[in-house]
Amino acid sequence: MARLIRTEKEVEGRFEEVWIVVEEDPLEQWPEGPLTVVGRDAQRKDGHERVRGEARYTADLKLPGMLHAAVLRSPHAHAKVRRIDLEPALALPGVRAAIGPGEAHGLEEEAGFAGAAVAAVAADTFAQARAAADAIEIEWEELEVVLDPDDAVRREIFTAEPRRYERGDVEKAFAGADVVVEATYRTQTVLHNSLETHQAMCEWQGDTLHVYISTQFIWGIRQSVADTLGLPEDKVRVVCEFMGGGFGSKNSPDEYTYAAAELAKRTGRPVRCALTRREENTSAGNRNATIQRLRAGARSDGTIVALEGEFTNSVGWSGWNASTEGPMRMLYDCENVQTVTYGAQLNTPPMKAFRAPGFVEGTFGLECLIDELAAKLDVDPLDLRRRNYAGSNDGTPFSSKNLEECYRRAEPHWERRHEVHARSDAVWKRGVGMASQIWYGGGGPPSYAWVRLGSDGRATVITAMQDIGTGTRTAMAQIAAEELGIPLEHVDVALGDSARGPYASISAGSSTVPSMGPAVRAAAADAREQVEDIAEQREMPAGTPLEEIVAVLEESQILGKGARGPNPTGMSVLTFGVHVVEVAVDVETGEVQVERVAAIHDVGRIVNPLGASSQVEGGIIQGIGHTLSEERLLDPGTGAILTTSLDAYRMPTIADVPEIVCEFVDRPDEHLTNLGSKGLGEPPIVPIAAAIANAVRDATGADVHELPISREEMLRALREADARAREKEKRGAPAAV
Amino acid sequence: MSELRLTVNGGEHVLDAPVGTSLAHVLREELGLTGTKVACNEGHCGACTVQVDGVPRLSCITLAHTVEGEVTTIEGLRDHPLVEAFVRADAVQCGYCTPGQVVSAAALVAANPEPTREEIRHAMAGNICRCGTYPKIEEAILSWQG
Amino acid sequence: MELLRPSSVAELDGGVFVHGGTEVVPLLREGLLDAERLVDVRGVVPRGVRDGVIGAGTTLAELEVEPAIPEALREACRLAASPQLRNMGSLGGNLLQSTRCWYWRLGYPCRLHGGNSCHARDGEHREHAVFANDFCASAHPSDVAAALVALGARLRTSRRELAIEELYRLPDEGDRRTTNLEDGELLLEVELQTVDSSAYVKAMDRKRWSFPQVGAAAARVGGETRIALAGVAPIPWRIKSIDELDAATPLPRTEWKVPLARALVRRAVAALD
Repeated sequence: MARLIRTEKEVEGRFEEVWIVVEEDPLEQWPEGPLTVVGRDAQRKDGHERVRGEARYTADLKLPGMLHAAVLRSPHAHAKVRRIDLEPALALPGVRAAIGPGEAHGLEEEAGFAGAAVAAVAADTFAQARAAADAIEIEWEELEVVLDPDDAVRREIFTAEPRRYERGDVEKAFAGADVVVEATYRTQTVLHNSLETHQAMCEWQGDTLHVYISTQFIWGIRQSVADTLGLPEDKVRVVCEFMGGGFGSKNSPDEYTYAAAELAKRTGRPVRCALTRREENTSAGNRNATIQRLRAGARSDGTIVALEGEFTNSVGWSGWNASTEGPMRMLYDCENVQTVTYGAQLNTPPMKAFRAPGFVEGTFGLECLIDELAAKLDVDPLDLRRRNYAGSNDGTPFSSKNLEECYRRAEPHWERRHEVHARSDAVWKRGVGMASQIWYGGGGPPSYAWVRLGSDGRATVITAMQDIGTGTRTAMAQIAAEELGIPLEHVDVALGDSARGPYASISAGSSTVPSMGPAVRAAAADAREQVEDIAEQREMPAGTPLEEIVAVLEESQILGKGARGPNPTGMSVLTFGVHVVEVAVDVETGEVQVERVAAIHDVGRIVNPLGASSQVEGGIIQGIGHTLSEERLLDPGTGAILTTSLDAYRMPTIADVPEIVCEFVDRPDEHLTNLGSKGLGEPPIVPIAAAIANAVRDATGADVHELPISREEMLRALREADARAREKEKRGAPAAV
Repeated sequence: MSELRLTVNGGEHVLDAPVGTSLAHVLREELGLTGTKVACNEGHCGACTVQVDGVPRLSCITLAHTVEGEVTTIEGLRDHPLVEAFVRADAVQCGYCTPGQVVSAAALVAANPEPTREEIRHAMAGNICRCGTYPKIEEAILSWQG
Repeated sequence: MELLRPSSVAELDGGVFVHGGTEVVPLLREGLLDAERLVDVRGVVPRGVRDGVIGAGTTLAELEVEPAIPEALREACRLAASPQLRNMGSLGGNLLQSTRCWYWRLGYPCRLHGGNSCHARDGEHREHAVFANDFCASAHPSDVAAALVALGARLRTSRRELAIEELYRLPDEGDRRTTNLEDGELLLEVELQTVDSSAYVKAMDRKRWSFPQVGAAAARVGGETRIALAGVAPIPWRIKSIDELDAATPLPRTEWKVPLARALVRRAVAALD
């Protein structure tokens, strides 16, 4: 029976209260450990299509009569359109329509960052559209540009009210602490740079808008577009069968979709609006820079008694104030914690969620600080982390937490540090560092799936979800195959079209498997129960294979349906893990080489170990880029973006990859759904930066406080460490490493 | 417009295109060979890699009118053992860079059937994968012969 | 736009030369280069290595595995750009590539583009020059050029012969170009002298597919050690000895390049023995 409940919903660390309809979720969880299909390596269901270039991405779609749109963007970081003339664009060859500020959502008169959309043109070819957009005459009134986050905080220019959190009495605790460490950490702005740029193709058929879009959230697009255009949601169809990467940046429709929809309306033809790579680097979102002023106090026995943090998120022109303070609040058992988080509104491109937004940055600061504390206390960093293990989330019990098991499995990797140190020489200094991971990833309702079973014994899972490249099709097929008791090869997954399946979760916040998986299992179980009914009616012996039972169906089909049940009430559903990293630092040239990463994660039941290891490797490699080589740069005078191409914005190549050892605790969360699985997309990128920085300190004695750890930053830190050592020597103390 | 003659995956094509048109554009828009992806359109990422006479090139910055040899795209490599090797090793996530990876890898193993890890890293460094499938790509190439 | 395919030097008649296209095509697309006439010079420029003479049309990929050239050049080719770019890009084109300065690449009206300020000096310049950076702070990105300067190579063009160092010039108020090549002049061959040993070492911010933060080439010719650097000045930069690094004039955010260059030069020179 359907029940209406009020529940808390979390995506990317943001919570809201929602009403949802849930259906009974009576299935017992499967036993722990590998089953017949679930828990075993599976090749991707869509592997061949993707590898052979047969998969059709939004970028590959072409409709008869399709026009191409180009967007005119502000060259100024803050300016207002005083006058705009679209006529010169309309006069150019091939141009079919042009729209300006206010004529489509996202085209605005006030540009708050360089790259903000102002106008758009549709033409027969993209080159014509581009030339026409550039021909638009526009007179700007330049406004004051704010680029310095500290300046914005001083002047209280915020995107939202500062967020304050307090438990216990921090000042008193610091006063009583034996040891206090204090440091400022800075993280840079990094860009998602999904290889398929943000894009949509829109077509009106009657009063229905068809939106083909590269997205992580088919149903969110449907709702946003319908809301914005004043359409009933059923009059918006959203299609995304294959998509070329999102990493958090493709959760909403944005200006390119609205421009395409409006231009399609005006021309009566399908319109594609695709960002160029340059636009992707200026206007498609980013992981915002942070400044973290942190303090930790401990007793000499290693008990952390106080944590304090002032966090400034350089949010940009718009976006949200991500939970950079989250790890400080949640990772350790500490009675006295005080944080304030400022969301500085700047004339820079808006942030968007980027793979564990806030926690990646906050973990860098906190976990480096913890190592500085360990050094000052002269306590082993792993021991210090264990000594302050959090048994609850500020009083709320965890649905499951196996971080201690992660630490236990980290021991042999941690023990390698003596042997690693021994491999140092005069130039290459080697060291080992660790960092813990905490993040969300429990998913939640609603999500629905259908299972269609034919007389040939083949099943199709139908749900209007998206597979953003994480292997969701495969995981869902495994769950259905397991529940139905049929081979994985006999299960297909039909997804990617809001008109052809029920509501499905966003693929963000590490939520796809924990949100969709239980619904798919429920649908498969519903189908299986119907098959069992038939077997009983036909008096087939127990254990008759499903194929044999359904063979009698002929053209009849079994239709199972399933829904995602609620999350456990009064519990915190979180993911955990630890990374142990080995680095080598060339102390003459400042080169940092990550040599080995051991990653141990606790995300409940693992559905596909092969695909899961790919997620871990991918998160680590993206994190290595974040830690060592990637940075979006601005012109400090004007706020114009300088790193707009992939020669200047440097993501890791295959040559930058260390040895990666990946382990999972693989224990189902007994309180979480019929599956016990949490998400894994984000956890692996959370601890890597801090683990690398801590390894660098272990190797060299140098404190790196800024990302990226470029040669410039590394050489600065080494120089500072040298000076410190010399100073100590002068005072007669033994020199540091 | 200027006449353009291309041999692609063994087939001859004669078409008209303005000078300056990229090979990637011709492949995708004129010949419908959308397996070749364009991700940066300025020669930095490798998604558009095709072979010309067996040598990997960036089709997005190759002027179509200057192509003299035989073009091989991913569509011409669909039966290459590397395809199975990539699927087996899970060397694909979002898949947008993957056809280009396979095209580069096919040229590598044609010249050097048993490349070392170092050789793989040297030969594949021009194919950016934002999902970070690199370890699996390395495994796929190491085991391409099954 | 028209495309010509001459087969001899005599047929050359203006236009923008294109060989591998790795530089010219993106610059055309970004509007940093204008061309009514494109000239595919592959039929004119020699390709291949013979008796110490390298055709300027030889690709970097061919050179990175060429046993008959000095180590410094081979290594500079091996560490340059990406595999596909090395497959496409010619030696001659590599020597003539423009700076990676973001302001220049984005078309800012900087001095190299004929304007009257260097945006990098006052702006974001962490990858820029530490020598000769007063007028224009751009850094020359060619690994290969630094190697050839250290190797003391000579060039033959469609009009003359010259030492590679004479190919490059620092831009100034009156002339913003960074090479002395005349309009319509085409690089044809690179002639190498015999060297006792040579080496190239390069600092990048990823292991492959990066322009040099700093590249250091060294060659021993007779009793002389020749040193040249990439990524430190608007043109390939020769220094007589490591001590010349003391005379660097870094900008606030390029100071790090000086100790880096010192370490790399030491290594390059040490590798000569």
